[in-house]
Amino acid sequence: MNERNNLSNTSNAANDNVVLADLGTMIREVIGEEWAEDVPIEMETSFAKDLELESIEFVALAERLKEKFGKEVDFAGWLGSMELEQILQLRVGQLVEFIVRCNSASPTA
Amino acid sequence: MAETVVEGVRLHYQRLGVEGAPLRAVFVHGLVMDNLSSWYFTVANALAAFGDVVLYDLRGHGLSERPAEGYREVDMLGDLRGVLDATVGDAPVILVGNSYGAFLSVRFALRHPERVAGLVLVDGHLGDDDFGERMAATLSLQGEEADRAIAASFQNWLGRQSTRKATKLANMARALVNGTSLVRDLRATPPLTAADFERITAPALALYGESSDVIARSLPLVARMPHCTVRVLPGCTHSILWEATNEVKTRIVDFCREVRP
Repeated sequence: MNERNNLSNTSNAANDNVVLADLGTMIREVIGEEWAEDVPIEMETSFAKDLELESIEFVALAERLKEKFGKEVDFAGWLGSMELEQILQLRVGQLVEFIVRCNSASPTA
Repeated sequence: MAETVVEGVRLHYQRLGVEGAPLRAVFVHGLVMDNLSSWYFTVANALAAFGDVVLYDLRGHGLSERPAEGYREVDMLGDLRGVLDATVGDAPVILVGNSYGAFLSVRFALRHPERVAGLVLVDGHLGDDDFGERMAATLSLQGEEADRAIAASFQNWLGRQSTRKATKLANMARALVNGTSLVRDLRATPPLTAADFERITAPALALYGESSDVIARSLPLVARMPHCTVRVLPGCTHSILWEATNEVKTRIVDFCREVRP
């Protein structure tokens, strides 16, 4: 296993799990199809390869994140700072870590 | 989800960046195999760093409603005006259009010159290119051949490796082309003329791919605009937004910084 995938071994593991569960629900909502109910959504899950998330679904996900976590989680800006190839490689765990990091940087959120 | 209803049709939009900033930019995407995400993942966020940015899905596209009828130019322009009214109001904006989105942006500038501070045309589909005929020909193909043609016409980054997505997009495209008046309405859309372009006083930036299939008919037209900078990107086709993302982004950002009212 490569190190990048070993995301749950952090001190924020409990937080990670809560965020992961929320995120899984949101991802299934934006896909909005029956098959998505049964697909496991874990830290290692790839948005493009495993979930085949469409770009417009990413946009819808960004909006849900903003509603749920507030403006501190600037998903759009975070994606905007990446090259397209990086976005293609993006895994659910990276987004979980990003959200946890944003939330701990602004505990009042 | 951010939506506004124009003439009974629900339109999805996204607003990014600094609300009320002096620089206001509105992005208009291309036809059928496109939606606002193309702009969202390429140029919009760079402008949102200092501007008030709006993106919307054309009717029938992305997360907007797909009515069976009403894809005439007047409907599409009404949608754009409605989205502006719901977001930045009547303050002048820079319109940034890709392909057919560039065509709509030019039309809007002709109809509402007071609301347009600048125009960016990205491989604008501007000449008399028989939109409707070409679209209908591509999408009347069947089965795998149709899927290939659709995939080729849609260079979206997430579309390259996904079968679910290819099928879903192909289904959406067919629903739009076969299930609505889009093609008929496009066929009835009058072409832009050189005289139209001569009337556009707003500063403009036109970017074209060297090997674009629309450059030959469009370039002589954009050259008629009194204040237009034209850049032809070597080695690119019609899909310059995907083939030269960084250059397109930089040129648009620089243009907007200069034009900022």
